[in-house]
Amino acid sequence: MAKDYDYIIEFRHLTKRFPGVIANDSINLQIKAGETFALLGENGAGKSTLMSMLFGMYEPDEGEIYLRGKKTKIKSPRHATELSIGMVHQHFKLVENFTITENIVLGIEPKKSMIGIPMVDIKGTDIKISDLSREYGLDVNPTDVIEDVNVSTRQRVEILKMLYREAEILIFDEPTAMLTPQEIEFLLEIIRNLKEAGKTIILISHKLDEIKQVADRCAILRNGKLIDVLDVKETSTQTMANLMVGKDVSLDVAKEDSVKGEVILDVKNLFLKNMFDVKIVKDVSFQVHAGEIFSLSGVSGNGQMEIADAIAGLLPIDSGEIFLKNRKINELSIRERTEQGISYIPEDRQVYGLVLEFSLANNLVLKSYYHEPYSNRHILNDEAIFNHADKLIDNFDIRAGKGKDTIVRSMSGGNQQKAIIAREIDLDSDLLIFVQPTRGLDIGAIQAVHQKIIAERDRGKAILLISLELDEIIALSDRIGVIYNGEIQRIADAKDISREEIGEAMMGVAKNA
Amino acid sequence: MPNKTVKNKNPIFNLLGNPKYQFISIPIFAVIISLILSAIIIFLLGQNPILALKGLMQGAGALPKDNYAAYQGQVTDFMETLDIMTPMLFAALAVSIAMKGGLFNIGVSGQMLISGFVATITIGYAKELNPFISKTLVVIIGIILGSLVGALIGFLKVKFNISEVVSSIMLNYIFQYVISFFIITQYVDPVTRQSRVIGENARLTLMNVEIGPYKMRIPIFFVIAILVAIFMHFYMNRTDQGFEISAIGLNQNAALYAGIKVNHRIIMIMAISGALAGLAGVTFYLGYRASIFPNQLSSIGFDSIAVSLLGNNNPIGIIFSSLLITIIDRGGTYMRSVSGVEQEIAAVISGIILLFSAMSSYMKEVFGARYRKGGK
Ligand SMILES: Nc1ncnc2c1ncn2[C@@H]1O[C@H](COP(=O)(O)OP(=O)(O)OP(=O)(O)O)[C@@H](O)[C@H]1O
Ligand SMILES: [Mg+2]
Repeated sequence: MAKDYDYIIEFRHLTKRFPGVIANDSINLQIKAGETFALLGENGAGKSTLMSMLFGMYEPDEGEIYLRGKKTKIKSPRHATELSIGMVHQHFKLVENFTITENIVLGIEPKKSMIGIPMVDIKGTDIKISDLSREYGLDVNPTDVIEDVNVSTRQRVEILKMLYREAEILIFDEPTAMLTPQEIEFLLEIIRNLKEAGKTIILISHKLDEIKQVADRCAILRNGKLIDVLDVKETSTQTMANLMVGKDVSLDVAKEDSVKGEVILDVKNLFLKNMFDVKIVKDVSFQVHAGEIFSLSGVSGNGQMEIADAIAGLLPIDSGEIFLKNRKINELSIRERTEQGISYIPEDRQVYGLVLEFSLANNLVLKSYYHEPYSNRHILNDEAIFNHADKLIDNFDIRAGKGKDTIVRSMSGGNQQKAIIAREIDLDSDLLIFVQPTRGLDIGAIQAVHQKIIAERDRGKAILLISLELDEIIALSDRIGVIYNGEIQRIADAKDISREEIGEAMMGVAKNA
Repeated sequence: MPNKTVKNKNPIFNLLGNPKYQFISIPIFAVIISLILSAIIIFLLGQNPILALKGLMQGAGALPKDNYAAYQGQVTDFMETLDIMTPMLFAALAVSIAMKGGLFNIGVSGQMLISGFVATITIGYAKELNPFISKTLVVIIGIILGSLVGALIGFLKVKFNISEVVSSIMLNYIFQYVISFFIITQYVDPVTRQSRVIGENARLTLMNVEIGPYKMRIPIFFVIAILVAIFMHFYMNRTDQGFEISAIGLNQNAALYAGIKVNHRIIMIMAISGALAGLAGVTFYLGYRASIFPNQLSSIGFDSIAVSLLGNNNPIGIIFSSLLITIIDRGGTYMRSVSGVEQEIAAVISGIILLFSAMSSYMKEVFGARYRKGGK
């Protein structure tokens, strides 16, 4: 088919405002058919908003979108789908107790007729989806039920959903934020396959090396404005980072040696079971001292998240003991543990960390609303709650259109994460459990959070860091425990263990503790 | 902030879509649409809609009638409206607090019946008791029984994971039939075929009070119901427990993570909801009425769900929505006598309003989506 257009997508003076912010400010951008195009920018720069307009979820206030050379008003996601645009969101939208095939065909069920009665042809579709999955190397089993499959598979189901609807333009909003390094490799490979097949791909990511690996060109947004469009091959990641933040950023964090104090957290012979009664943590023991960052490193799904839940009181303990400052806390409620001095940044910010419909101010007191000064004799004190919010918004650079009154759901993903971190650090607990603390944050924000974590350590706090990112573990840890299959393989001082050794222990190879 | 003025493509949609005003714009929209629809229906039946509406208002004492019988007047009609509004208000408050906590108390009718029944047979027939004491006891019994039933529903939910909807429907049936059995076998008045009338001493509505030229009912609990509504508003929005209830209603996982004792709170929410339903029960069966029909649940318990929605689950809004629905329900008889429109049409009108108000969250979503797409 001969193309009678230069660019498959063209934004002209696209502007979108929300109360208190210009999310996109007169954006002019052209994307070529068949290229992989990356969007880079700080948290709240307007990347998701721009793509939401392309996907028909928001209507631009000003400006036009040209699709395949034709001025097009994209009315709804359904309309976008008809225009062969597909989008994988940061948070997936799948029906838990449907099979993969059922999820994929939802809304456009293939009909077949049996003795005149229209029926949904699931069997035939299973085969079709298998083929599609094989073609792009997606590796999913169409008859699996969603609730039984992991995040990475769910994401691939979302990709299949787009492909099944014959999407030509594929939008990925931070697709790697939830994945492990291995899964990321896999996804990048899939993206390459899709490009090979001639798809146009738009990728939002905060991870410069991923952009470097798969993207052809990259647009940089800052405060809603388009700053530059770069050829990825000819640009260093350092340049990209500088452009994004608007000043020179250093990608390393400075850190003194730790001054180890008394034992704050003591986990002894911990055994945990998941809800299917399967042992997922076996005989785990470790200690975290005041003034040190101890990290648990491991491939996702090896029990580290459950250990964090158990310490915080969200998961019952099967056997073993947990001591906080020499006091056994096995039997304490979640609230009592918080009061005894545990802060917890959970893995899933939208499921556990926030009440999305609450205002930012209320979310910032989610763990302290009931005591003074936020409540006096059970009556809430708005003034205190608002002052507290303003203070944290300032200290942690949380960006939200209407400040403390912003409904958290409307905040950008990275700023939601900052809100949780702010609240938990502000509790001033002796033990801080950080699980994937920088997920979804931009480079500048990651650096700020890393500095905050180190500052807390230097104030004598005990820090338990759980991260899937080896870079983060190596940059921050004083001591490292490597977990594999629910067992600690090795605990070592950070300076005594190499990256390769950690990697091997994570795969359960070497065991020379 | 560089926020340009809002482009008013369509001011009506802007008003209906803006979350800031939706709490009031959506219910008003629901009522107006319903009234227009009802007017059309009445018109198609060959009657005068204006006359019918006026009849409704007159019947409920919201407008003066042309003439009154001895001892009667607009004020006596209006007092009767307030008398039946009282249990409606309590019942809708019961629904709203549960709703705020993400729970659906569809068992208000059953909770009303059991409270009303127990209060009737214990205090209602103890005609020698001092009026003040017996009224107090009636209220206490209503609150205790209602909250016990509510707490039971909450307990079944947290302990055995039984949906509150299922257990409250089951309890509705159980109460309805068991209580009917006792009424018919033990407490029936052979003439009326209802339970025997309670003593005036226990009745929460004062009857035939002579004030000036009138003989009227004085629904003493109306004032209390209004005060309770104001208190509930304060409780749900300004207290730490209200904060917890909202958090549970919006995201149970986050509530748990924040250290809220979600299970305790669910039982507590249902107990409060049940207590309010109990108050509705005693003000209905031992206030507006003085006896109980066997084999029948009061429709108030179900209408209150829509009344609560119409009032946006907000106690202050509910004061107005319950007044509106009560006026329409009450004015039907008189409407027929003055306009010739069948009494049942009143039920149709309130039915349409309740239907639209039940759709209010849908409308909020639809108008809201249009509004959000347009931005601001
Ligand atoms: N529905 C909405 N209502 C109000 N404000 C919004 C809404 N969606 C986004 N915003 C605001 O628009 C700005 C841009 O948000 P957007 O989600 O596009 O950022 P982003 O670049 O995707 O950031 P992140 O990297 O954190 O995901 C933010 O200030 C955000 O608070
Ligand atoms: Mg985003």
